[in-house]
Amino acid sequence: MRRSSFGMLVSFGLMAGCGWGSGALGAESLEWLEQEAFRRAVERIAPSVVRIETIGGMERVEGLLFGTGPTTGLVVGADGYIASAAFNFLNRPSSILVQLPDGTRRPAELVATDHSRMLVLLKIDPPEPLAVPEFTPPDEIQVGAWAIAVGRAFEIGQPNVAVGILSAVNRIWGKALQTDTAVSPNNYGGPLIDIHGRVLGLLVPLSPQADNEVAGVEWYDSGIGFAIPGFELQRIVERLKGGKDLHPGLAGFHFGRENIYIAPPVVVGVRPNSPAYKAGLEPGDRIVRVDDRSVARAAEVKEAVSRRYAGQTLSLVIERGEQRRECQIELAARLEPYEHPFLGILPVRSRPKPGQPQQSEAGVAVRYVWPDSPAAKAGMNAGDRIVGLGGGAVKDAASLRESVNQRSPGDQVEVRLRRGDRQLQVAVTLGRLPEEPPGGPLPPAWPAGGDRQQREAEPAAGGATDFQSLKIPEFENDAWLYAPPQAGPPVSYGLVVWLPQPGPVDRRQLLQQWRLHCRRDHLLLLVVQSASTDRWLPREAELVRRLLDQVTATHAVDPTRVVLGGCGAGGSLAFLTAVRNRDVVRAVVLVDSPMAGVAPENEPPYRLAFYVAKTKKTAVLDRVDAAVARLRRMKYPVCVRILGQAPRELNVEEMAELARWIDSLDRI
Amino acid sequence: MERGPGQIGVRRSGTRGPTGRLVHAVGMVVGLVAGGLAATHSGRCQSMVDTIAQVQAKMVKIYGAGGLRGLEPFQSGFLISPDGHVLTVFSHVLDTDEIAVVLADGRRFVAQLVGADPRLEAAVLKIDGSGLPAFELDEAVDVPAGTRVLAFSNLFGVATGNEPVSVQHGVISVQTRLEARRGVFETTYRGPVYVLDAVTNNPGAAGGAVVTYGGQLVGMLGKELRNARNNTWLNYALPGRALAPSVKALLAGQPTAQAAPEEPAKPPRSLTLDDLGLLLVPNVVPRTPPYVDHVRPGSPAALAGLEPDDLIVLLNDRLIQTCTQLLEELEFVDYEDPVSLTVLRGHQLLEFTLQKRR
Repeated sequence: MRRSSFGMLVSFGLMAGCGWGSGALGAESLEWLEQEAFRRAVERIAPSVVRIETIGGMERVEGLLFGTGPTTGLVVGADGYIASAAFNFLNRPSSILVQLPDGTRRPAELVATDHSRMLVLLKIDPPEPLAVPEFTPPDEIQVGAWAIAVGRAFEIGQPNVAVGILSAVNRIWGKALQTDTAVSPNNYGGPLIDIHGRVLGLLVPLSPQADNEVAGVEWYDSGIGFAIPGFELQRIVERLKGGKDLHPGLAGFHFGRENIYIAPPVVVGVRPNSPAYKAGLEPGDRIVRVDDRSVARAAEVKEAVSRRYAGQTLSLVIERGEQRRECQIELAARLEPYEHPFLGILPVRSRPKPGQPQQSEAGVAVRYVWPDSPAAKAGMNAGDRIVGLGGGAVKDAASLRESVNQRSPGDQVEVRLRRGDRQLQVAVTLGRLPEEPPGGPLPPAWPAGGDRQQREAEPAAGGATDFQSLKIPEFENDAWLYAPPQAGPPVSYGLVVWLPQPGPVDRRQLLQQWRLHCRRDHLLLLVVQSASTDRWLPREAELVRRLLDQVTATHAVDPTRVVLGGCGAGGSLAFLTAVRNRDVVRAVVLVDSPMAGVAPENEPPYRLAFYVAKTKKTAVLDRVDAAVARLRRMKYPVCVRILGQAPRELNVEEMAELARWIDSLDRI
Repeated sequence: MERGPGQIGVRRSGTRGPTGRLVHAVGMVVGLVAGGLAATHSGRCQSMVDTIAQVQAKMVKIYGAGGLRGLEPFQSGFLISPDGHVLTVFSHVLDTDEIAVVLADGRRFVAQLVGADPRLEAAVLKIDGSGLPAFELDEAVDVPAGTRVLAFSNLFGVATGNEPVSVQHGVISVQTRLEARRGVFETTYRGPVYVLDAVTNNPGAAGGAVVTYGGQLVGMLGKELRNARNNTWLNYALPGRALAPSVKALLAGQPTAQAAPEEPAKPPRSLTLDDLGLLLVPNVVPRTPPYVDHVRPGSPAALAGLEPDDLIVLLNDRLIQTCTQLLEELEFVDYEDPVSLTVLRGHQLLEFTLQKRR
């Protein structure tokens, strides 16, 4: 510091010679005074900014090469407590060293991690009491004020400095300050200070959209940086001292798919056995107050939940019909995996009527009853019409599926039926979605219509010309869509997106495999070819999504039967695309494919089923088996087929069974 | 991929789109103009606007070889003599007989390469001229961290023809040295640099000038450089004072002073773990922590007091993060020299000096 001060004097002495000294007019001296203030502020905080070194640890975190360079920490307790960014330790180093500004090294213990605000607390045994910084009081944190980011990543004797302003407060669901100061691994874990050298916040990478561990690091030096406010940091540190990690609090209810910034806070689903469920929250409840604040938008409730930790309580006032009631939800760190319940039927599909609302009869006609299913045990038959469930009326298959999804396997529910002229009521104990397809051929999916005969009259042979070529401008990939010829009244189509192994695609052969099923079960077949001849790239998941959107825009696609599938690497990309696009994908078919990426938690609105065909002699078998076990633990239904010793295509019987599995995806 | 600011800083891929950085830079220029206007009515005192005008006249745009495989065919430079000497970085752009230098007012010259110092990655060009506005390299100043600076460069080749180059503002973040050891920075330069808090080092910016708000030369923007220790791009300048001796030699037609290489040489025979009597845990993952697995009885390690399960964290005061790194560092230690090892044992750091028996 001494040398620096000297340099400063020299340089400003020279500046003064050119008219930049304190003797100049106010306009000039302001620049100088500000610079002088930056220097003093940094000088004030410097004794509290330490350097952190790690030993060992993983080379890559979430696919990113993880740096080994020194990082920064901030003293928060004279007795040796040091806060830093969780990012700096994502590689799980085997040991951590803290280097104090005077060069002394001390081994550090990681006391606990805050997984919501991505902070860690370290403890060292200091040679003498450490310098605890002053924190800016909340009411003095002002947008537009100078903000200086301080790190100690380059030199132990000299902090590295970046200057900017405070851009916003209450960012990332109310958790963080935002600054335009250059924030990067060079100062993550260090303080953002005000012009007085007080701590505004602790610098961490964060992202408002994503919440994976490395989220936000790609924004470094972009003019968008985040810091956890200092006054909150002090409270968090006290909690972390107990040695227990803090986790984001989860409630277990969700809103609809509308834009949460516009939609009112009306609960659409409550996860069984979740904190919200235990607190008595029900679908249809409208949240009007959170704590003492009235709320009008779903986003306000999301913010209130997001800033809380597991173990904390969310106090809601809800409106249910005419009534107002209070609801105390004790937030949890994790929710029990959700499992979709099963009634045991296939619905008769209703025909799409473009341009006009559905005028069909209320209720759901039963197309098929699964043998030994809850519905079968309760005596339901094909041909029955389900008109009510658990006291509510059933409008159509989608609303029936939604009300079943709000329950759990094992729940008992009253089902009201119309059978011919009779009304009956049966009690059903809900089961779990079956992994296996129905055993035999299924009855027609549509109410009686004239299309069958015409379909039979169509020629059976076909070639590549049956495909329509599709292209997405930014991608080189070729893609082809086969749509079975439409005959008779309109139907909605299932959609199978097939991603073969990388390289040239034999479309004619694929069509031979699929044509019959496409025509009988009303399936569209979309075949996509990899851009490279030897691999699929993760970015091609975006291509698949864009193609899905394109086909959905031009064809009547049944949202319950959208299937992605593929062989080998193609299947891996199908899996990746599916987990990234749960809003549209309902099933994944994998033939000897390891699964790329991790499936998200199972959730009521996003039903996802897996069909896994595997060969015994493949290098990926262990990974496939591990992934299947993981999916089952997460309560996803997985149908597994063993193809034998050597890799091969699905044979005719297996294709027929797969088609039946796809045809039964709209099961309830 | 989601749109939005995420795109701005995306640099994981190794290639980067200019958009983000450009937006950043333009924002800065706008900010500057506003700041500068406040200071214009200052009579004899130098305002930021004056500073910019004076510095711009000394800046040049350099066009040469490149244009293939993502190598831009342009860079920046500045005049260091009224006779037309230009200081810039030594790069692929100069690898042609047709180096074009364009002054701020649009005057265009064909430049000769006077000489280059490959170690500093600096080069001096000469254009025909006299009475040109120029920096005096000897008068370059040394500034501490926190000093406000302006950076002038033709980043991304935004300036064409008779336009002046782009101006950015920021502060000196820290003075540091580019590490002399393997692979952290891919450059031959080993010495002091100024790190800046603005995104200054972009394609085409190398050779640009960093000056104080008063217009004094601080340094020259270097080539684009990644910091391999935390996978970020480094924004930095080579100090003018580090360049001056070499440039003086080039101007005098003398070979540049080949300072003793700072990279330490390996001894003819290096110390080995076996010499010390140490066996580490199997080095099975990319970053295996250097835990001691076995200490041979009677060996220097045993005599010094090292024990199994000790974690070696420092070797002669250099941080050791992996088994591989420990082996690499040992190659720089002569087998006859004593070596200091600091280990983590439980919650304690313990330092030992080991001496191979003669």
